Amino acid sequence: MMRILLSILVVLFLCGSVLADDTVCIQCHAGQEGRLSAPVELWKTSVHAANGISCHDCHGGDPTDFGMAMDPSKGFLGAPAYADVPAFCGRCHLGVREDYESSAHGKALKRGGPQCVMCHSNHAVQKASIELINEKSCTRCHSYERAAKVKAAISTTEANIQQLETQLGELHRVGIDTKKLSGKLFAGRNDFRRLFHTVDVEKMEAETAGFATRLGKIGTQIKEIKDELSQRKMVGGLVVLLLLAGGCIAMLIRKSYHEEE
Amino acid sequence: MNIPKLAVDWLDNRLGIKDLIYQNMGGYKLPRNVNIWYTMGSVVLALLGLQFLTGIMLLVYYVPDTEKAFTSVTAIMNEVPYGWLFRYLHVVGSNLIIIFMLLHMMSVLFMGSYKRPRELTWISGFTLLNLGMVFCLTGYLLPWSQLSFWATTVATDAAGAVPFIGEHIVAFLRGGPSVGAPTLGRFFALHVMVLPLGLMGLVGFHLFCVRRAGISQPPFGDSYKPRLFGEGFEHEHHPDGVPFHPNYTIKDVSMVFFALAALVAISFYAPWLFIPPEALVPADPFNTPEHIKPEWYFLWAYQTLKIFPSKLLGLAAQGVAMTFIALLPFIDFGSERRPFKRPLFLTCFFLGTLLFVGLSIWGHYS
Amino acid sequence: MNEVSESNKQRRTFLGILLGGVGVVLTGVFAWPIFRFLAPRDTGGAGAQVRVKKNLIKVGGAHFFDFQGRPAVLLQPRAGSFVALSAVCTHLGCIVKWVNDKGEFLCPCHGGRFSAEGLVLGGPPPKALTTYSVKIEDTDLVVG
Repeated sequence: MMRILLSILVVLFLCGSVLADDTVCIQCHAGQEGRLSAPVELWKTSVHAANGISCHDCHGGDPTDFGMAMDPSKGFLGAPAYADVPAFCGRCHLGVREDYESSAHGKALKRGGPQCVMCHSNHAVQKASIELINEKSCTRCHSYERAAKVKAAISTTEANIQQLETQLGELHRVGIDTKKLSGKLFAGRNDFRRLFHTVDVEKMEAETAGFATRLGKIGTQIKEIKDELSQRKMVGGLVVLLLLAGGCIAMLIRKSYHEEE
Repeated sequence: MNIPKLAVDWLDNRLGIKDLIYQNMGGYKLPRNVNIWYTMGSVVLALLGLQFLTGIMLLVYYVPDTEKAFTSVTAIMNEVPYGWLFRYLHVVGSNLIIIFMLLHMMSVLFMGSYKRPRELTWISGFTLLNLGMVFCLTGYLLPWSQLSFWATTVATDAAGAVPFIGEHIVAFLRGGPSVGAPTLGRFFALHVMVLPLGLMGLVGFHLFCVRRAGISQPPFGDSYKPRLFGEGFEHEHHPDGVPFHPNYTIKDVSMVFFALAALVAISFYAPWLFIPPEALVPADPFNTPEHIKPEWYFLWAYQTLKIFPSKLLGLAAQGVAMTFIALLPFIDFGSERRPFKRPLFLTCFFLGTLLFVGLSIWGHYS
Repeated sequence: MNEVSESNKQRRTFLGILLGGVGVVLTGVFAWPIFRFLAPRDTGGAGAQVRVKKNLIKVGGAHFFDFQGRPAVLLQPRAGSFVALSAVCTHLGCIVKWVNDKGEFLCPCHGGRFSAEGLVLGGPPPKALTTYSVKIEDTDLVVG
């Protein structure tokens, strides 16, 4: 029995299948109709799926066993109620939950105020960006004026983070080990992003300088690496010219022999 | 006290090296109309030498263990002084070697230099090309990146098409049902010891054949006539020719310089040409990246397998083509070497080249 | 014909020297990275200090650790007093072993013996084990 299972698994690997797809949750729900199957396709487009976070990571249950997949004894939580969502997402996103709960949004939760899903959606969660703060989304509850202030307060830092992320991506592409720097930037980004959830404009403006310094350090290190890369290219260029010169000189010597042949 | 002269005289008294040097340098006469394509062999040899050197450098810091391989390569690229330089030279060099080997082969085909009495030179040369490609295949796995892992999986999978024993061949190649630590172990042994020894032996034989048979007369010009063969062995002399040294050694040196310039230029300005993004991510046996493809010199084979409905047919087609090329001197055995007096051959040559290029481009986009 | 050969020869000599120069520069340009690539790297620097947790060394016991690329040993002969010594035997470079019952070091290669302060007690070693400075900082010992 084990050998058969093993060879099936091996065949699956050889077919290049992605193991995360094989949870029983996906297998069952993908075949359902309407709202029961909708989450599957939505989740596949999400940043969670891209990072190997699957159904059971949030909803609990046993992802390998059809019988126990939705059993409370295996930690199955079902779909959380509206007001339970911050606690639900907050099991992993602790910092954000803390800042949210102390914010005006968090305090308004019991009165029907916004929670995570309202802005981030639940299954088709995308990588967070500043564009989540937009007129359409925020005017569902109040005027856009205060949201615009918040957006302005964080836009410089956000742009800075984006730029650093792009630069690190470029460095990674040419073989530089960006793990440490990426880690620092990731930490900085998360510390900053959780800050937004306080929706406290003064606090965000106060912290901006601190983040600018922190990000500035990363920027300096990136610049040092870029300078080193430029220097390499320059030396490389000189060597290429030297080699070409050598080839041409040799050709000229050849010519002088050829004339005498 | 002329030390160099004393040293040479001492060696000459014991080994007669002066005569040997004369026979292979100043006294070695070549035709006057030898063209630039005759330097391709030296270029390949020089690049191979550099590949050995950069390979040894990398071997000092590389660790052939699935847990440590990727980290050791990252360390070479980021921490070891000039590690990035040797790594890039090695990667770009391997691709350039295949390119120059192909150019060398194309010129030999065009000039009909594979024909009698140079059949063994051709067979050893074609084997060397294949050895070069196995070198690339085994070397590819060593960084243990996503690209390494999955490209090797795809490449070794092809052997599964052989009827009856296919599965076993694949398992034998991989050292297991799927690519893993045993695969790394055997590919490393192949890449670092078995293939270099084989290559050195075969290159030695190839060069011996070239010298022993004599350099071929370029099949161009009004005065050229196809060679008539007697009964026994006949070295092709060129008594009114031009000495190898310095007339042609300097030409070889020049072309080697240009080839090295290309190597350095690509290594410094576009090394990522030969390093796709999947090569920068550690291997994950549970996650196949989309669009995994073999390297450009295997795309023709990859596409051929995709065209044929059955994998066995695809593999067989490739086998037939390779055997045909290997045995070409016995199939095309006429003594005519002038390209424009071999219309059938020329047609096949151009169509074959187009097929290779076409299949490769198709393979890239499919 | 002769003038052509003469001027050719001169040209060749000049070009040859030029090519030689290019060759020398290129050899240097390739040799330098090879040298730096293979040269031993400074991991931590010659004057680097090492921190060891105090509680790793029992009273009357010894704790071996790495110091500036070579084995060293920390001892606590009396409670609260620490000694740091090189563990490299001064005879021919073998690493000494701590003999707990006798409270002394024994070199397994030729039987050299050192006291708990590193002084030679017997055997071929010509001089005492090198001592290193030890500072106590809270729960850590700083050697060097």
